[in-house]
Amino acid sequence: MPPVRSPRTSARSDRRRSMITFRDVHVTYPTGTKGLDGVSLEIPDGEFVVVVGLSGAGKSTLVRTINGLVPVTAGELEVNGRRVDGASRRELRRLRAEVGMIFQSFNLVTRVSVLNNVLMGRLPHTSTLATLVGAYGGANKDIAFDALDRVGIMEKAYTRASQLSGGQQQRVAIARVLAQQAGVVLADEPVASLDPPTANAVMSDLRRVQRELGITTVVNLHFLDLARSFADRIIGMREGKVVFDGTAEQADDRVFEEIYGRSLRAGDVAAAAVSIEGQQGEPAAEA
Amino acid sequence: MTTTAPGLKAPSGSRPPKPGPRWAVWIGIAVAALISVYCLVAIEFTLEPLVTNLTNGQVVIEQFLNPNWEFVWRVRDQWLVTLEIAIIASLVGCAIALLLALMASKVTAPTALYRVMKIVLAIQRSLPDLAWVLMFAAIVGTGPLAGILALIMFNIGVAAKLTAESIDAVDPGPVEAAQAVGATGMQRARVAVVPQVMPSFVSYSFYVFELNIRASLVIGIGGGGGIGEVIRVQLASFNFENISAIVVALVVVVFILDQLSRTIRRRLI
Repeated sequence: MPPVRSPRTSARSDRRRSMITFRDVHVTYPTGTKGLDGVSLEIPDGEFVVVVGLSGAGKSTLVRTINGLVPVTAGELEVNGRRVDGASRRELRRLRAEVGMIFQSFNLVTRVSVLNNVLMGRLPHTSTLATLVGAYGGANKDIAFDALDRVGIMEKAYTRASQLSGGQQQRVAIARVLAQQAGVVLADEPVASLDPPTANAVMSDLRRVQRELGITTVVNLHFLDLARSFADRIIGMREGKVVFDGTAEQADDRVFEEIYGRSLRAGDVAAAAVSIEGQQGEPAAEA
Repeated sequence: MTTTAPGLKAPSGSRPPKPGPRWAVWIGIAVAALISVYCLVAIEFTLEPLVTNLTNGQVVIEQFLNPNWEFVWRVRDQWLVTLEIAIIASLVGCAIALLLALMASKVTAPTALYRVMKIVLAIQRSLPDLAWVLMFAAIVGTGPLAGILALIMFNIGVAAKLTAESIDAVDPGPVEAAQAVGATGMQRARVAVVPQVMPSFVSYSFYVFELNIRASLVIGIGGGGGIGEVIRVQLASFNFENISAIVVALVVVVFILDQLSRTIRRRLI
């Protein structure tokens, strides 16, 4: 299926500065697995993009190439005016300071306080010596508290991260990203470890702060209903290629069938938000 | 009596074939026995001295059975020296060990560095504590300084290896998160790794302290000061009643400190 390009998104990308630009990007893992196979995309400033597809379709790879966690093997990738392919380690660190990331398993340091976790977002603006002694300084703390306030858990600042629920932990992770004052936020399956109501609440939080601050956001999701209700734009991936690119309204059941390569079952779109891969007998080849 | 529960398939009666004898195990046992016999013959092992010398050593045994308890208190300063040596050596040794451990794990160090550090630590560990004391006693002279330096080297070996293994096993998630915010390698180690290994590291430090108290005998005999030194002197002047009192006291002290440190360690994890 040729990529369907939404007229609305095209008009927007003409109007706004492109934040993330993929030009024929290929990613091949050392094992020989193809992660991305000739992806070309333009994501304009301030857009909320949801990437859907089966496990192993390249969603995770797509998101992780944007901050250089997965190296590009061919093609060009530009993020916030910086080239990602072929960047030196120092350049990658500068880029990552401007790109926040949220993970499926939250990736908090559970043994330290919530505040210290959020302050991790200020590391690029803290000297090594200050980091070693844990002296982040008042300005960084102000930013961290403001970030915690935005996700509504400021009162937990001095609580150990391990004592929070899953939903609260993911909010701390969002606060960590906000403390980075990043222009781009990447989220790799941010709600896959959460129950459906909490997943919905966390997605709402993410969407709200994204609107308030105008952050360009790229989210991987397994849940079709969440993708439809939160996305400005949906990108469907299959075998490392972009097979759909359009608005949430355009992404009807027929489109999802194309992306997933089979007809939808009742469980796939039910309010209970059943993960697609759970229904699939194929082994997950996600790297 | 029936073995078939209702609703279950009737037994077919065909059991899986019994696996053959495990020859490898029997050959292993035979080889171990042969080596043991050869060794006994080679060192001309005999229990004879145990019988013939028992009567010769009667005086010694009598002295041992009448410990001079008063002597334990008379050398109280040397007990304190032993404790001080153990505390200083544990603190300094473990602090250095934490830094070396961070360099000796693939999580926190570049591949080339961690490979080199693993080898360096393995070589460093292969020297026993007595060898370190003899070496430092030759360099700085006998006394507590030689003991402290020897135990520091010994502690680095133990604590760095254990801590490096804990670092290898940390949850990689927070490390990845720190990498994704653009933190440098040192920042990642401090913020994402050290908090995770801190409980194990402190626990290892207490364990190392226990080992140090126990090693005080060997350290003193090798010229490192403390209570071991007292034993060496008493041994040289055949005061076996003093030695037996010290040995019993040492067992008690090691046991108490062991339990104390174990209680603290248990609370940490």
